[in-house]
Amino acid sequence: VAPEAELLPGTLDLLILKAVSLGAHHGYGVLLRIEQITGGALAIEQGALYPALYRLEHQGLLDTEWGISDNNRKAKFYTLTAAGRKRLKAETDRWQRIALAINTALRAQEA
Amino acid sequence: MGLVARARSFWRSVVHRSSLEQALADELQFHIAARADDLVARRGLSPGEALRAARLEFGSVERYKEESRQSLGLRLIDEARADMRYAARTFARSKAFTAAAVATLALGIGATTAIFSVIDAVILRLLPVQRPEELVRLLVQRTGRPAGYSFTNPLWEAIRDQQDVFSTAFAWSAPTEFLLTDGPATRSIQGIVVSGDFFQGLGIAPELGRLVANVDDHRGCRPLAVLGHRFWRTQFAASPSAIGNAVILNGRPVEVIGVTGPEFHGINVGRTFDVALPLCASALFDPQNVESRGRWWLSVMGRPRPGVLPDHITASLGVLSPRIMATALPPASPAAQQEFLTRTLVSEPGGGGASDLRRDFRDPLNVLMVIVAIVLLVGAANIASLMLARATTRGREFATRYALGGSRSRLVRQLLTESALLSCAGAALGLLFARWGAPLLVRSLSTANNPIYVDLAFDRRVLAFVTTVTIATVLIVGLMPALRSTRTALIESMKTRSADLDWPRFRLGKLIIAGQVALSLVLLIGGGLLLRTFVKLVSLDLGFDRNNVLVVSARPPRVGAEGTTLPPAARTAAYNDIAARLRSIPGVVSVARAFTTPVGDDNWYSSIHADLPNAPEGDAAACYFNFVAPGYFATLRTPLLGGRDFSEHDAATAPAVAIVNEALARKFFSGSNALGRHFTRSGVPGDVEIVGIVADSKYESVRQTSPATAFFAAAQLPPDRTADEFVLRTAVTPTAVIHAVGQTVAEVHQDISVTVRTLAEQIDDDLVQERLVATLAGFFGALALLLSMIGLYGVLSYLVSKRQIEFGVRIALGAQPASVMRLVLSEMAVVLAGGLVTGLAIAFVTVTLLKGMLFGLEPRDAATMITAVALLAAMALLAAYLPARRATRVDPMIALRSE
Repeated sequence: VAPEAELLPGTLDLLILKAVSLGAHHGYGVLLRIEQITGGALAIEQGALYPALYRLEHQGLLDTEWGISDNNRKAKFYTLTAAGRKRLKAETDRWQRIALAINTALRAQEA
Repeated sequence: MGLVARARSFWRSVVHRSSLEQALADELQFHIAARADDLVARRGLSPGEALRAARLEFGSVERYKEESRQSLGLRLIDEARADMRYAARTFARSKAFTAAAVATLALGIGATTAIFSVIDAVILRLLPVQRPEELVRLLVQRTGRPAGYSFTNPLWEAIRDQQDVFSTAFAWSAPTEFLLTDGPATRSIQGIVVSGDFFQGLGIAPELGRLVANVDDHRGCRPLAVLGHRFWRTQFAASPSAIGNAVILNGRPVEVIGVTGPEFHGINVGRTFDVALPLCASALFDPQNVESRGRWWLSVMGRPRPGVLPDHITASLGVLSPRIMATALPPASPAAQQEFLTRTLVSEPGGGGASDLRRDFRDPLNVLMVIVAIVLLVGAANIASLMLARATTRGREFATRYALGGSRSRLVRQLLTESALLSCAGAALGLLFARWGAPLLVRSLSTANNPIYVDLAFDRRVLAFVTTVTIATVLIVGLMPALRSTRTALIESMKTRSADLDWPRFRLGKLIIAGQVALSLVLLIGGGLLLRTFVKLVSLDLGFDRNNVLVVSARPPRVGAEGTTLPPAARTAAYNDIAARLRSIPGVVSVARAFTTPVGDDNWYSSIHADLPNAPEGDAAACYFNFVAPGYFATLRTPLLGGRDFSEHDAATAPAVAIVNEALARKFFSGSNALGRHFTRSGVPGDVEIVGIVADSKYESVRQTSPATAFFAAAQLPPDRTADEFVLRTAVTPTAVIHAVGQTVAEVHQDISVTVRTLAEQIDDDLVQERLVATLAGFFGALALLLSMIGLYGVLSYLVSKRQIEFGVRIALGAQPASVMRLVLSEMAVVLAGGLVTGLAIAFVTVTLLKGMLFGLEPRDAATMITAVALLAAMALLAAYLPARRATRVDPMIALRSE
């Protein structure tokens, strides 16, 4: 197994938005989904998830609702708002442009 | 974007704080429990081990809770709350300090607010009418003179008929006295007359009934009355049945047609009206009101047609003026008529209303405002230096908190919270104080002769003022000490056990003291000048003896109701009868009748012509007239310097004679003996012989230099006027005979209304403004002095207590108490000297602003300045002496042991 990579600053919000966009989750579910979609390659301290979730909720990007989890516990579920969806799209585009640029730059050979 | 969401989320979090905390705890708890379940299922851990592992993986629960709260923007509020609690606890511990600080601020903020609310009501506020900013007031401009606000009725009618710039133009009179028959009694109320377009032009709607309109205002109209709201409430108990009823004004029934709203008090700011009559109706009380081309008693305003610019108004009025003036030309000499035709109409903004009050009180109010603002500043500085001292002793607390990760801004914020709490408490109390103080201020300026009515409701401007003052106070009281003390605390305090040792110099505290001394000195000098002005005015030689004199105004019925008319001949008989009966009242020494009394309600200003080469002519030849009966000068104890007094022989048909004062003799006869000379009166045929010379005396006001005055025999007064005042010199206290006087007049004629007051009161009323300003300036000057002395005492006490060890060592080493005392005092003397010099410099520049308010002394009066400096220095030495003495009594052993 490859060693877990440090998360780049600012990327946690993006990952949360992406994870939530794949379906309504409670906080722990978001964590699991991130681990799943990143193949477990990124190290996230679990608690750090919550300040980020509250921040996104505060900004009106996430909606919340209390419900019952699979194993019958009371849990808070997150869904994406319209503003959240828009933000996810914008951030995704931006990330891809940067990633492309950096990739191109790194692939450059000595002429 | 997101701002609304953020605000909503913040609001939700603040309001539902406890449920939020619960939800946060629940959510994290769920996470850990769910993780533990997974660990049990996937890795086969025991439930206990799984829970422990889950907690480890999660990290610090409290830390993430805190960060989550921060994400919701709650941190600031949490900290503010903690600061508030902390400050409240701090204040609860030092109750005396808190009470003194809040009381000082309440007094300062309250006094500034009270005075501002009067300034707002009298000077700043626009009339409560529709679009007041559009209104334009008309004035008559004549060459070489300030423009006048008065119009005759013919002049107003000419303007109304010929102007083409206003959609509506209207005229009104200032409130004047009407006698209201109220059951068996007669009392005086205030009435205005208004032209037909007055209410419509202002956009005033009736509260009840209808208001005077154009159809009501025509020559020969019947009398109608619109009631002021207050009068309607007091006289008719706010009953709708008032409409259609009659009020008896000056003996004549007048039908009530409507009531105005509670906020409208007429256009004359500082006055109010009880009844408003159509202009034409004033002819019923005196035909001259509408006919005379020489009676200047109306004011005129207009509302420009839409789109008419100020330039256009000026131009149009300039073009129209000659024709309008020609229409209203008064009978006069050809030269005077020629001058009249050159007068032009000009305009100025009228939305603020018309007010003598504004002219009279602008300077005093501004001066009072500056005075109370300085007192507030001095008081706030006191609290600032106390806070500074306290913050300094808390130096180690701050240093510790800083070391533990507290930020400086956080510490500053905490200190500011403390000063904000103090200031808000002060402001709240101050508002109460102002609600009580502002009406009191207005009441003390109001006199029987000049009643003042001001609407003092706190409007938005006053509230904005209080808010600004409070914020300024917070900054003065808190910001400076906060910044100063935290700066030092951070650097120094951790190094040494006794961080305070670096503080004895306490430079900022001393600067504050010097500033307070400077400001107090400015106030003392200003207050001293105003006090001395008042003393000078009170002790002025008036040219008569005000003591033991009663002034009786016996107004004849202006137009008698049926059966009670008092024609001129009967009137003279009645008034002579009254004089004779007054003389027989026990305790009355002498009685004399007069047209007006010194510093009284009436004046008569007219020109005379002396047949001498260099005698003044035209406007320069004006002087004051009075018509007095024999014995007038003896009663008032005005010395007769030459010639004779009037006698019974100076009857209506006898040759016209006059007694003149020295000022008149100087002005018209250039010092040569005026006795036996003749002069003529402008507009009156026949010449007058001077038969007596009297000493100068005041005529209209105490401040006025005794003017040239000619006295004529009361019996020779023109028949349309009445010498309706009596002066009585009494051997007993004048007020003791008031009752007998009222009875005596009533015995002679039922419908003569009487008002009685002492001459001393009449003089006092003339000085009411000077007295109030001097009293307040003196009071606040003393208060500022006291506050700054308390500040000086406090700071010095603090310094001495901080240097106990040093003094102990000095004394242990053999220093004499005197030298320790000198050490302390000399340090304070430097501060004091700095403050005094600065204060003198400020005073030297600013006292000239008082020039218009002073009497008989120059603004830079050396005696006042020296006295103020001496007083302040003496008080300061006293305030410094007590702590200095404490320094000499430090017990060396105690001081050394504490090291």
